[in-house]
Amino acid sequence: MFTKSTKTNTVHILLLEQLRDVESCLLYFESFMRAACTEGTVHETLKSLAVNVGDAEAKADISLRKMIDSLQGHAYLPSTREDIISVATRCDKIANACEGIANHVVYQHFSFPTQFTDDLLEIVSITHNQFEVLEKAITRLFTNFGDMLKDHSILDEIRDFESKVDKIEHKLNEQIYALDIELAARMQLAKYLESLCDISDTIENIADKMQIMLITRKA
Amino acid sequence: MIYLLLAAGLFMGWSLGSNDACTFGTAVATRVVRYRTAVIIIAVFVIVGAFTLGPNNIGKLAELATSNEVMASSDSVHSAIENGTVAELRFKSGLKAAIIFICAGLTVFGINFLKFPVSSNQAITGAIIGWGLFYADYSNPDVLSTNLPKIGAFVATWVLNPLIAGIVSFILVGTVGKFLEKRLSTLGSYDMLIKTGYIIAIVLGSLSIGINSSANVTALYFDYAYSETGVAANLLTSPVLTAGIGGIAIALGVLTYSKKVMMTVGGNIANISQMDGFLVIIAMALTVVIMGNVLGIPVSNTQATVGAVLGAGLTRGAKQVNFGVLKSIGIAWVASPTIAGLLAYAVAFFTQSFFG
Repeated sequence: MFTKSTKTNTVHILLLEQLRDVESCLLYFESFMRAACTEGTVHETLKSLAVNVGDAEAKADISLRKMIDSLQGHAYLPSTREDIISVATRCDKIANACEGIANHVVYQHFSFPTQFTDDLLEIVSITHNQFEVLEKAITRLFTNFGDMLKDHSILDEIRDFESKVDKIEHKLNEQIYALDIELAARMQLAKYLESLCDISDTIENIADKMQIMLITRKA
Repeated sequence: MIYLLLAAGLFMGWSLGSNDACTFGTAVATRVVRYRTAVIIIAVFVIVGAFTLGPNNIGKLAELATSNEVMASSDSVHSAIENGTVAELRFKSGLKAAIIFICAGLTVFGINFLKFPVSSNQAITGAIIGWGLFYADYSNPDVLSTNLPKIGAFVATWVLNPLIAGIVSFILVGTVGKFLEKRLSTLGSYDMLIKTGYIIAIVLGSLSIGINSSANVTALYFDYAYSETGVAANLLTSPVLTAGIGGIAIALGVLTYSKKVMMTVGGNIANISQMDGFLVIIAMALTVVIMGNVLGIPVSNTQATVGAVLGAGLTRGAKQVNFGVLKSIGIAWVASPTIAGLLAYAVAFFTQSFFG
């Protein structure tokens, strides 16, 4: 009944582009983490994988700026523009977080203790799956808005992923603080864990923001 | 010089315009429509409404004013023509109209100051009746039987108007809102619907204000015996010009002093959704235009808006409606005609040597 204008279509395409760039950053980060959690990985290899993460983050940044620029052509109502920018900037934080963790691991020549690597990789994998669902949800928000108003259970799926990450985080934190190593080393490890789990939190926050968008637009 | 007496009615129109623009507050406060765009659309369509259908609503108010000795009856005009006192009658008629508008205006200002929603329509009606209670002989069964049905018709609109607006809004939000929602394909289409909906709502709402309220602010200056006598016994003789001048005064109020109230009211009722927001304005406009044209009585936009907001709230269940607000509205509905009536009665008392 109501069709999409060229301006809104452009914004939609650019936002999807940005999401793809963030996802590619997440993929590079996953590879980085696998290497970082594998014993005997050469530092130079890690460094080059971190560069890949950084490059993907920079590309995601450019996409974000392009998308925000496209909103200046008065596509969408001001409140929707604000909501789109809010979702997009939060997505950008995901790529920033990946780059931040990768760089610090390289700077500090940090090695993850072997007893934690499986769980850490599990967190990264869950986060990646969670992001894929978020991508689907954002696409549905733009292309099937009416359906999304009626049924937004997909956002609950995103929250379920975050709960899984939370449980692993809790378990690992208990184990970390039970380790017989220096407090500074325990805190450093806990900080990495926190930063890793924050990515999933950010994705959950985006889902919450989307739910607010839907509720405020429901007749 | 005599036309200076029009100033009271024009001031009433100006303040009515600055106040009634709050009806469109949601559109501006949620930034769906820019303030400047909104006030230009409102001003244009208020004037269009006033010049086209506005004259239809002058009759009943003029009748009520005549039977309450505010406006000169046809007989008084004829005897003034015979006695050569038309100029004096014309001045007194203009002055009485100005007094009624000042009494109503002060009441609206006072109740607004206390932050209660107020209807200028009720204040004007109250002031007319207050004047009539002093000058018209209500102990005379003939006067009583003439006035009671007229007063009854006005009072009935104060109940029927918000009630019907509430029902129309309940139906519109419950059916049209859901119907449109099902047909939304993209987020962009939702935004387009909201923008188009608000523009339509502002146009219809502004027309309804022009049609209805223009009569409220200038009808008492109208000489409805002019077409029969050909002699001007009041300030205005053309019904189109009478309503049109009222419309222009309201439009000036909208253009010059509506931003603050628009943003305040818009922000306060922002808890209704954007879609509900424009359907509420459409419900208000439909009610006011239909009631005004069927009954020929200018009805209150404020009351219709309150009724429509409540109706929209009820579609989400009774718990979603702030019934506490009804108390303040009830107080204002009783206080506004009463205070205006008492003021007019007091002025009538102190000026009886001049008008008596």
